[in-house]
Amino acid sequence: MIASQAVRTAPVRRTAQPRPHHTTRAHRAPAHRTHRSTWELRTFVAVSGAIACVFVLAMLYLVQSTAISTLGYEAQRLEQVRDELRRQNALLEVENARLDSPARIDTEAKKLGLVRVATIRVVQLEPITAKR
Amino acid sequence: MTEAVSPRRLRGLFVAFACATLVLSLRVGYWQTIARGDLLEGATGQVRSDLVLAAQRGVVRDRSGALLATTVPLRSLYAIPKRIGDVAARANAAAKIAPILGTTSDAVTAALDSGAEWLYLRRRLPEESARAIEVLAIPGLGFETEPKRLYPNDALGAHVLGFVNDDGLGQYGIEGQYDAMLRGVPGRLVVERDPRDRELAIGLRTAQAPVNGADLTLTLDVVIQTSVERWLKDAMDKEKATSGSIVVLDPKDGAVLALASYPTYDPSAVAKADPQALMDRAVSWTYEPGSTMKAITIAAAIDQKVVTPNTTYVDRGCAVIGGRTLCNALGKSYGTSTVTQILEHSANAGAVFVASKLGAEQLHSYLGAFGFGRRSGIDLAAEAAGEVRPLAEWYPVDLGTIAFGQGVAVSPLQLASAYAALANGGTLYRPYVVAARRDADGEHRTAPVVLGRPVSAYTAATLRTMLISTVDNGIANGATVPHFSVAGKTGTAQIPSDDGRYIDDAYISSFAGFAPANDPRFVVVIVLERPQSKLLGTVTAMSTFRNIAQDALRSMRVQPDRP
Repeated sequence: MIASQAVRTAPVRRTAQPRPHHTTRAHRAPAHRTHRSTWELRTFVAVSGAIACVFVLAMLYLVQSTAISTLGYEAQRLEQVRDELRRQNALLEVENARLDSPARIDTEAKKLGLVRVATIRVVQLEPITAKR
Repeated sequence: MTEAVSPRRLRGLFVAFACATLVLSLRVGYWQTIARGDLLEGATGQVRSDLVLAAQRGVVRDRSGALLATTVPLRSLYAIPKRIGDVAARANAAAKIAPILGTTSDAVTAALDSGAEWLYLRRRLPEESARAIEVLAIPGLGFETEPKRLYPNDALGAHVLGFVNDDGLGQYGIEGQYDAMLRGVPGRLVVERDPRDRELAIGLRTAQAPVNGADLTLTLDVVIQTSVERWLKDAMDKEKATSGSIVVLDPKDGAVLALASYPTYDPSAVAKADPQALMDRAVSWTYEPGSTMKAITIAAAIDQKVVTPNTTYVDRGCAVIGGRTLCNALGKSYGTSTVTQILEHSANAGAVFVASKLGAEQLHSYLGAFGFGRRSGIDLAAEAAGEVRPLAEWYPVDLGTIAFGQGVAVSPLQLASAYAALANGGTLYRPYVVAARRDADGEHRTAPVVLGRPVSAYTAATLRTMLISTVDNGIANGATVPHFSVAGKTGTAQIPSDDGRYIDDAYISSFAGFAPANDPRFVVVIVLERPQSKLLGTVTAMSTFRNIAQDALRSMRVQPDRP
């Protein structure tokens, strides 16, 4: 804010006061000071700008790093969720196999009072197919 | 106004600063060069973790895809006693979790008060127990996952599957035989962590992914295996036998459809198992086969064309060979009999007659051709070779005794392979258990391996007819299956003792057969050691065959070949 004001006021002062033709030592001193202050201002502006740029870049880097870290933690959390879901899936697959076990079904059938059929009649498919 | 500092003081101050700077520079230089490694090590050690990424052990399935063995991470319960609280809090926590763990609160309290800073209270908990403890939300208790091999069918196929010990190594069965393949190759992860032990997204990260173990598909049929184990246990309970085993082979390629041994064990609880139960008696145990061997002797004689099924001899109950008299069981004599009737009556004297026609050299040669006396090469650990003594060590009487299955030792698996050769037209296949393995490169199927052709197709067909007659008209009538043709032969063998004699009144009863006999789908060998019904143990073996055959034929949807 200060730097921008200084830049704007400098040309105004130059046009308002035309340079004298004859200058004494007493007259040259303020001009020299003005020239030097302009240079200081420019330097100040440049350095401030550089610092501001570095600050902005540093902030950007920091924001990016923080975002990556946060996403990394989120990725880890999601990996844990995925692993847990896979584990649960594996446990369910085991449970499914346990329930499908012929020995278990046999035991459950006995508990229900079911008995094995003595014979199973198998239909010969070939003659039926041949008739069609 | 300040007083001007004297130059002398300034110089002194400069020297002091210069010395301090020099010392500090040297120190910094030392840490940056000579001691750099220590510093780096200390720093990285605080944030870096080097983890071994365990490979997932392969899954084992039966021929239809039913799950037989898999590895699941189960939760292990650990405790940090100091975080639980004072003595009263620990006792309270112990009282809450003890019933869930199935132990006493005193035992849990003793563990918590042992002085350990960190300890496992129970490893690899069942999921229901872990959830119940998690709900209690007791501070100082936590979980970490550890892989556990699970067998959903409990003890089913235990001797084929084997088990995995606490170190993650496969033992016995295919878990032992294919351990390297199932285990895979562990990976490695080097990563930097924050103070909360979370991985840093930006930082060192070197990962080498683990290579998971191959999945195996077995030749076992879970339905037939269940039937086999059910009827074997039934026979064992009925006969109070010392041990028993059953092998079911597919005669078309030697695939093992079912294999059971009794006593058995639960692969998930091996620590509780009787060490004797770990032995796979179908593969690792040998016995004198007795009369089931007569079919092999007669097959050899027919193949050599020294006899035909209709060749006759006069059975006087005993036969003399090598100066020794060998008699039929129970002293029976059958008069003029055919070779087919030797099988129907299971006549020892008839077997001696056939062997005499064949000769010792030929019989020895055919025993080898049928795979006796050497390992079949099945892909299961600890296969027994059996024993067929070198021909030079045979006494003249051995020709007669070996003809009816005494003086040789075979495993049930070898006998099943030999009968499979008779069933399939004369080809001896190597029995195998793993039908396919699936890894990162895709599926690799096992090709059947032909070990030899011990007899011609004609001989095999002739023997099939003779063995059908043995079941239909002879001693093996108990193995008849309604509406199906069955071929088979019983066997009753004496048990040799350590002093070379036979133990009185102790037998091994067996039955070997296949069905449907005209187009065999499976071969079954049943062996019962020391049945309480002694010589009648074969009756139980035959009824066991019949029950298994009925279940298998039903499961395979085989059309009846008889009215």
